[in-house]
Amino acid sequence: MNDITEIRWHGRGGQGAVTSAELLALTAIKEGNIAQAFPSFGPERRGAPVIAFNRISAGKPIRSRAAIAEPDIVVVLDPGLLGIIDVTRGLRDGGVLIVNSSKGLATVNSEIGGPWKLAVVDATAIARDILKRPIVNTAMLGALIKATGVVNLESLTQPLEERFGKLSEINVQACSKAYKEAVVMEYSPGVKKAEKVYPIEKSLSWKELNLGFVVTEMGNARSYRTGYWKSERPVRDNAKCIKCGMCALFCPEDCIHQDAEGYFEADEFYCKGCGICARECWTGAITMVEA
Amino acid sequence: METLSIYAPRLVTKRQSLTPGHRACSGCGEALALKFVMKALGRDVIVVMSTGCMEIISSQLPYTAWEVPWIHTLFENAATVATGVESARKALARKGASLPKAKVVAIGGDGATFDIGLGALSGAFERGHDFLYVCLDNEAYMNTGIQRSSATPYGASTTTQPAGKASFGQSTWKKNMPAIAVAHDIAYVATASASYPFDLMNKVKKAIAVEGPSYLHIFAVCPTGWRIPTDMTIRVGRLAVETGVFPLYEVENGKYSLNYDPPQLRPVIDYLKPQGRFRHLTPEMVDKIQQRVNKEYARIKEKAAQ
Amino acid sequence: MERRVAFESSFAIAEAVKMADIDVCAAYPITPQTHIVERVAQLVANGELDANYIPVESEHSALSACLGSSAAGGRTFTATAGQGLELMHEVVYVASGMRLPIVMSVCNRALSVPLSIWGDHSDVMSVRDTGWIQIFAENAQQAFDLTLCAFHIAEDPAVLLPTMIHIDGFHLSHVIEPVLLPEQEKVTRFLPKYHHPFALDVNNPAAMGDFALPDLYTEAKVAHDMALRNSIKVILQVWQKFGEEFGREYSPVETYGAEDADILLLTMGSFSEVAMEAIDRLKRAGEKVGLVRLRLWRPFPFEQFRQTVGRAKLLIVLDRALSVGGPGPVCSEVQAALYHLKERPQVIGFIGGLGGRDISVEGFQNMIHRGMDKASQGKPGEIEVFDVREK
Ligand SMILES: Cc1ncc(C[n+]2csc(CCOP(=O)(O)OP(=O)(O)O)c2C)c(N)n1
Ligand code: SF4
Ligand code: SF4
Ligand SMILES: [Mg+2]
Repeated sequence: MNDITEIRWHGRGGQGAVTSAELLALTAIKEGNIAQAFPSFGPERRGAPVIAFNRISAGKPIRSRAAIAEPDIVVVLDPGLLGIIDVTRGLRDGGVLIVNSSKGLATVNSEIGGPWKLAVVDATAIARDILKRPIVNTAMLGALIKATGVVNLESLTQPLEERFGKLSEINVQACSKAYKEAVVMEYSPGVKKAEKVYPIEKSLSWKELNLGFVVTEMGNARSYRTGYWKSERPVRDNAKCIKCGMCALFCPEDCIHQDAEGYFEADEFYCKGCGICARECWTGAITMVEA
Repeated sequence: METLSIYAPRLVTKRQSLTPGHRACSGCGEALALKFVMKALGRDVIVVMSTGCMEIISSQLPYTAWEVPWIHTLFENAATVATGVESARKALARKGASLPKAKVVAIGGDGATFDIGLGALSGAFERGHDFLYVCLDNEAYMNTGIQRSSATPYGASTTTQPAGKASFGQSTWKKNMPAIAVAHDIAYVATASASYPFDLMNKVKKAIAVEGPSYLHIFAVCPTGWRIPTDMTIRVGRLAVETGVFPLYEVENGKYSLNYDPPQLRPVIDYLKPQGRFRHLTPEMVDKIQQRVNKEYARIKEKAAQ
Repeated sequence: MERRVAFESSFAIAEAVKMADIDVCAAYPITPQTHIVERVAQLVANGELDANYIPVESEHSALSACLGSSAAGGRTFTATAGQGLELMHEVVYVASGMRLPIVMSVCNRALSVPLSIWGDHSDVMSVRDTGWIQIFAENAQQAFDLTLCAFHIAEDPAVLLPTMIHIDGFHLSHVIEPVLLPEQEKVTRFLPKYHHPFALDVNNPAAMGDFALPDLYTEAKVAHDMALRNSIKVILQVWQKFGEEFGREYSPVETYGAEDADILLLTMGSFSEVAMEAIDRLKRAGEKVGLVRLRLWRPFPFEQFRQTVGRAKLLIVLDRALSVGGPGPVCSEVQAALYHLKERPQVIGFIGGLGGRDISVEGFQNMIHRGMDKASQGKPGEIEVFDVREK
């Protein structure tokens, strides 16, 4: 690796990717290193894909504050992101990829393997078990440490205590458990990254902008797939459904529509998985399941 | 009150002036309130919006989630921009332009309305322009990360008045914004909540039927800022009404009427308990809030009885 | 029939606004702008101007209401000065970025503290970078002519940018002089109707005022910048058309007795006419001096400016604003504009006329001599405040 180790975190707003990066930097600095942590500054909201970054060096001053395009390490907090974002974009040959997934090493490798070391851990299960909430950031720190050794596991305890107070103990537990359970596949040179096309938003030139930056294609936000944000999706039990439309009424995305048979069906393309439809259903016909 | 047929939801228009693909947080009650407002407004409307969550989530260049004419300029001036739109349209029409009918509606968050844009709003009301102002009240500056506003309720923890060893969070009582609107002697003022959509949409229609300024104050649950699970948005909004924390009422030409008055209000703790922003409150503080809610609720009832 | 009347610049501007048949004026009173907006309000009250006058509660709201009016397709006018322009500040950028062709008179006024209602160009400099077209008038006739032209320029489909007409507080706003007023019919023929391609319209909805991520902000700014730079073509066309119709010529950089001059003085606004007197006197005494008047402040007329002053030996610049701790704002721009020329005049800057302080004809003579001395001694210095008491 280089003098400066560069790490990119992929998560969703509210999942704690930014906190992970912060905790890692605090730990590295406590160990006497030079380190940096920062989010990709943007308007992303709870559920939307977000990125955070770290730079760590043993002694070389870190001067760049630019977003990391060619990371040494990539950490993916949400398995749902693998299909929608090119998380390994720019990941260096011989780098490390750490993924939260319940699918196991072999399957994940077949989906997203490449010329890098791969570590997989079911951080969501660990978090549900220990924290009782699917907040995976501390577990993923454990997996990261196991796969890379960028910091020592013990050094993390104090920053966790400072950050989480009363809840620090269970977070330390989640971290250690992930450290133990993460499975690692070593780097084998020459492996090719799987070809896959990801959605990209075209960037306009200044000449393509309307006068005054006016938008005339009304409702073109429809092309933006908020459905990628969800970690849970609604499933309807037709036996219980009375076709009242209460779910559609209260959906903040206005994405539940009546189908030919009269059932109210959530549009996967937009559904963010908030669970309001399930909660407000009169008859309890809707349940939320992992997306 | 909201005891319509269980099939009533099917009657709500499917037309979307605010489209899916907007980037509000999962479970956002403000986006839901806005959805209802837009459904009730229909298409003959020009929307002027202040800076805030609803603006940011609907208008990332080169996209828009709007299907009606929409303009956003700044944080504190939506009411004023609306008066400019209204005045120009009146002048143009007087001078012979054939303009299609349209109601001008300004929409702002509680920060835009209670705080930074209050002077502008007061001016617009006082001048008597024909427009509707909608305040989407999620009780803090959410767009910038849950900072307190003068709409933040007593005891709530926000990032600029957090709870701590020496603080219980917000130390002031929520500003009575509807009363300020009423003091301008405008024809229609009402409160509404996204948890009571039919009442809300009905009030939107009443408000735009009025000639001159009208004011609609909508309670908008923010799961992110209030620290509640995303599926609890509607529930918490209902609890606010059922506990008397946020009564639903109208003031038509100065006359108050209470739209929902349950025989027995639920204790405020039912409303406070599910919310992370009130987690630190002691029983004494909850009691203090209960006293205040009782007093305020009685005051509204008394006015409605007059 | 053309009429010859006695008007202060404020009334001349109100008359132009009336003849332009605006739809909306939203304004808030502040000295020395009050006479303009009072007059517009009176014209509306008299039924002489069919417009809506919105008596807003602040300058921030004045320009905000103008945004709405212009975006709704109304011809829109406002006026302010000094502190009022400062209170408007964030709205000023929005009007230009959103390409709303509002016309605004600014009665140039000093900025607090100390409070001063009197004229200088501090307020002008505070809005230098806001992306508006900015034009200086030097007398009441020009105030009328240029205000009329401002609507034409601003609303041109190739421009669609708001335009400020700067007039010096009191020295112009409150001084009565003769003004020629053209016939309404002729003005109506001169000025095309305002049409904004994206005006708020339920039949042709558009969304105005999106935000931009870092990925697009630069492109948005460049689009605005190019529009402002390119507006100079239309400015020249409109002024030419005005000259043909009404017989008075305007150009971005104007001169007085500068043809054979080695030494040039540069001024903006009403002080130019005082300086002309000084130039006459010095010429009579055999000195090779001339005057350059910068009429178009934004977009900065680089080309015309270089052509005009490039061959002089010495350029003396008067700034009516003090950039506290920095260079004279006009002077430093002028220096930057000339820097790339192989042969260029030496530039010497003075600051003067602050907070309503007069500069007399003798004053300008002294300033020019003082500038020549500094140049010959090879001591240009950073800035020199003219006519300041040291003891
Ligand atoms: C003059 C100015 N000050 C501050 C801001 C930053 N700002 C943008 S939105 C916002 C808060 C919005 O709060 P609110 O009106 O309650 O709307 P919400 O986001 O909660 O829906 C703030 C403080 C700004 N844009 N402009
Ligand atoms: S979970 Fe239900 S209410 Fe929430 S976005 Fe999806 S369909 Fe809409
Ligand atoms: S922060 Fe709150 S109001 Fe803003 S988009 Fe998220 S849930 Fe909605
Ligand atoms: Mg708010």
